Amino acid sequence: MIKNYFITAWRKLRKNKLYSVINIFGLSMGLTACLLIGIYIHHELSYDKFNKKADRIVRVTMESSFAGTVGTTATTGTKVGPQFKRTFPAVEEYVRTYVGHNVVKSGDKVFEEPQILYADPAFFKIFSFTLLKGDAASALDAPDKIVLTASTAKKYFGEEDPLNKTLASGGKDFRVSAICADVPQQSQVKFDFVTQFLNLGNGVQEETWWTANWITYLLLKDKNSIAALQGQVDAYMKTPAVRQDAELKGNDQLAYHLEPLTSVHLYSSLAGFEPNGNITYIYVFATIALLILIIACANYTNLATALSVGRTSEIGMRKVLGATRKQVFLQFIGESALMTGIATLLAFVLGILLLPYFNHITGKSFTADVFFQPGIILVLLLFAIGVSFFAGLYPAIVLSGTQIASILKKGFTFSGGRNTIRKGLIVIQFGISVFLISYTAIIMQQMHFMQTKNLGYDKDHITVLPIGGNMLRNFQSLKDAFQQVPGVQSVTAAYETPEFVEWSDGITAVDEKGKHDISLNAMPVDLDFIKTMKMELVAGRDFQSSDFALMDTSHNGDHYRQPYIINESLARKIGWTPENAIGRIIENRALGPIVGVVKDFNFSSLREPVGPLLIFLGRDFSRFFMARIEGNDMKATLGRLETVWKQRIPDRPFAYHFLDEDYNKLYQSEQRSAVLFSVAASLAIILACLGLFGLAAFTTLQRTKEIGIRRVLGANISSITFLVARNFLLLVSISIMVAVPVAWWAGNRWLEDFAFRVPLQVYVFVMAAVSTLLIALFTVGFHSVRAALSNPVHSLRSE
Amino acid sequence: MLLNLKGIFKWVQTGGARTFLLRDINLTVEEGGFISIMGPSGSGKSTLLNVIGMLDEFDEGEFLFLEEPVHQLKEKQRAALYKQYIGFVFQAYHLIDELTVYENIETPLIYQGIKKAERKALVADMLDRFNIVGKKDLFPTQLSGGQQQLVGIARALIGKPKLLLADEPTGNLNSSQGEEIMNLFRQLNKEGVTIIQVTHSEKNASHGQRIINLLDGRIE
Repeated sequence: MIKNYFITAWRKLRKNKLYSVINIFGLSMGLTACLLIGIYIHHELSYDKFNKKADRIVRVTMESSFAGTVGTTATTGTKVGPQFKRTFPAVEEYVRTYVGHNVVKSGDKVFEEPQILYADPAFFKIFSFTLLKGDAASALDAPDKIVLTASTAKKYFGEEDPLNKTLASGGKDFRVSAICADVPQQSQVKFDFVTQFLNLGNGVQEETWWTANWITYLLLKDKNSIAALQGQVDAYMKTPAVRQDAELKGNDQLAYHLEPLTSVHLYSSLAGFEPNGNITYIYVFATIALLILIIACANYTNLATALSVGRTSEIGMRKVLGATRKQVFLQFIGESALMTGIATLLAFVLGILLLPYFNHITGKSFTADVFFQPGIILVLLLFAIGVSFFAGLYPAIVLSGTQIASILKKGFTFSGGRNTIRKGLIVIQFGISVFLISYTAIIMQQMHFMQTKNLGYDKDHITVLPIGGNMLRNFQSLKDAFQQVPGVQSVTAAYETPEFVEWSDGITAVDEKGKHDISLNAMPVDLDFIKTMKMELVAGRDFQSSDFALMDTSHNGDHYRQPYIINESLARKIGWTPENAIGRIIENRALGPIVGVVKDFNFSSLREPVGPLLIFLGRDFSRFFMARIEGNDMKATLGRLETVWKQRIPDRPFAYHFLDEDYNKLYQSEQRSAVLFSVAASLAIILACLGLFGLAAFTTLQRTKEIGIRRVLGANISSITFLVARNFLLLVSISIMVAVPVAWWAGNRWLEDFAFRVPLQVYVFVMAAVSTLLIALFTVGFHSVRAALSNPVHSLRSE
Repeated sequence: MLLNLKGIFKWVQTGGARTFLLRDINLTVEEGGFISIMGPSGSGKSTLLNVIGMLDEFDEGEFLFLEEPVHQLKEKQRAALYKQYIGFVFQAYHLIDELTVYENIETPLIYQGIKKAERKALVADMLDRFNIVGKKDLFPTQLSGGQQQLVGIARALIGKPKLLLADEPTGNLNSSQGEEIMNLFRQLNKEGVTIIQVTHSEKNASHGQRIINLLDGRIE
């Protein structure tokens, strides 16, 4: 019996090739989208869960309130780990971590390595990274030991046994003590090398609460003790002895929060080693997958019903031949299962083919293996069964209910009254499409705005060159050498690039109104910073060479004066006009005069308003040279820079990037959602149009006779076209009216996150509405024109 | 006695008035009978045939089929009854386009839950008997009208019905094809199958033992 159904279904499928292709294609696109998004969500939700002790590991974050300003960071001082282990019995182990970059050398192989992890010896005890060679207990028990990941070992030593081989970095030799399997993608700690935390140098030998640059993880003895430990930590940090130890005065507060390891990636607002995911995006992605699936299922339902018009005689006949309603019902569910089965297989293949593009959008690097996990396959199978049931349900119910007698009455047509469900589906499909189109347009506009906004400096054509090794010692001569390269307009250096300043600091200023303590961001820069960045000074001047004379370190530094440039916001915050601020003395690292006031520029994400910023002359802090080069023939200029670099700094690779790349990285997640939304929106509109196409075919068939009569009575082609198209355009208009307010609301919500944003513009919605209507009109038009052109003699030919 | 209709009325409500499709039909059919129903268009021939075939309902009267009171039976029981005892042949053949000749004939057996091996034997017999073994793998659209109707009849007979209902079985056929079908009907009748056919043609009607003339839903 089942075989008989499948044979009929298969032959039907082949007979109606166009519909079958549309149907299967639509369904598989929907399923592919779901599959890929599902894999992404699964990936995000399984973050850090590979750690066997994950439920006992916590990350410690710091909250400090200093001079009335609250700051929270994922990083903590060196004291937190050891002191907590000594103080609280619930803490079994601690590890302090930092990921740095450095040049690593082995024989003739030299690379700039960006992922060197510095960690306390308990690292491999706390986290479950698999050691392929070597022993976890002794892997980090001496300062000269270094652990490599398998692919790093291969990069340096090829097929040779890397154990006990030597690597040189930062003027020291390291011995390879263990080989670790490559770090899983779902790990918040990512590294290529691991060496002892204390190798970070003099700064970390002493235990201190401040200088919070390190991420501390604790391993607890009991997974249920997090809340209790949190209470103990809160109380402990308030004890006078600790407050004194941490140099807290008055209302100052220092608190630590314990975050379970597995909730860091999706729930924490504080990024650690890498930008966090966001549970909101997980919900958004899941919703998109669901919406697309709804559209695809609705399509199947619509097209299957449309197709079945020609099948009433078959169904009637089957009933006359003895089929029960249940048997007919099962037959249609079976057909739906066949379609979905094919679509699912196709989705699987499509998913694998699209994986590279998907990786590009998500920034992950999935391989085809993910599809072959039993869990994924099982879920997909259940999904396919569910979809085939729900998509096939409506046609199955309607068609199995066909009255037998109707087959014997010639000229039977489907009753029109039951179109409500199909019309509803069309409204839902187009509603979703219009929503996605407008929402995408809003995201795109904001993205465009962020790319082109005047940031207060010119981010284009700035080459960023990392400083390391001996470069600081030869700073001036290097800078001069770069400066002389033809095509280089101007060179400066700074601790951080200006698009995202993280250095937080504070100043004290005294004026007629009293003393002001202000928390702010600060950036040490070299000469020519304002000039190179093309920033605008509203008062005063840029730093100049004579300013170095102020920084007099003789006499115990008693005469040391630090020159400062402040931004407008800082001046405003203290209550000074820019002109007024020039020459005033403020205190940060030392007392010093304000020599310039720079026009506010965006030194943080555009989500944030511009806050107070202090720029001070501090060439010794420099981590990057930044060279503005001429826009034409950048390649040649870079080539010349490389030549100079190779001559002057032969031991370091010439690794440069552009400032606008850094800038774009800030908005990577927005960029990704923009791409995702545009893909989803295109998919939605394509699928919805397929559905509309099917329904239009169906309705036109239904009305063949009516159209024939109207033609005989003298209706012209355009009036017939309009007659058929009218109802659909009405449906699409309803969707637009429903979707636009929702998109307006959602777009507003999204934009509210940005301190700098585009206004919501009516034309976006008008454009989305009009384009949807046009696309729909075009889709329906095909059928209506065809119906209008058909010869009425055929449609009116009597039985 | 195979079936007995007593005072059958069927009507449709149009506005306030009833339009009668069947009016006080009284008819007894014995097993082995061959009856032709004749009448002009709209006289209720097909409606009567559908009522007898239990595909359509009636509004008043009694209907006994093999002593079972059809008017008192539930839908399911009626379906079971006609599945077992009645075969249908249509003017437009109503073969399932997606199934081959073989599969079309086989379908009623599938719905009766007959095992595959037995089905195969039954269908093979039928193909043999109608001389269409060579066409068993063809699809209906590859056959002539006469051949399609042969398949239709084969399909109607596969369940070994007591009663064969034919609604203008030759209506779409040319005269020689029609003649062939009529000869077949006579043959079947001789073998004991009761046949009721609706027809426009005096000539076809003459093949039957008895002619019933309908006019405006009433037996003349």
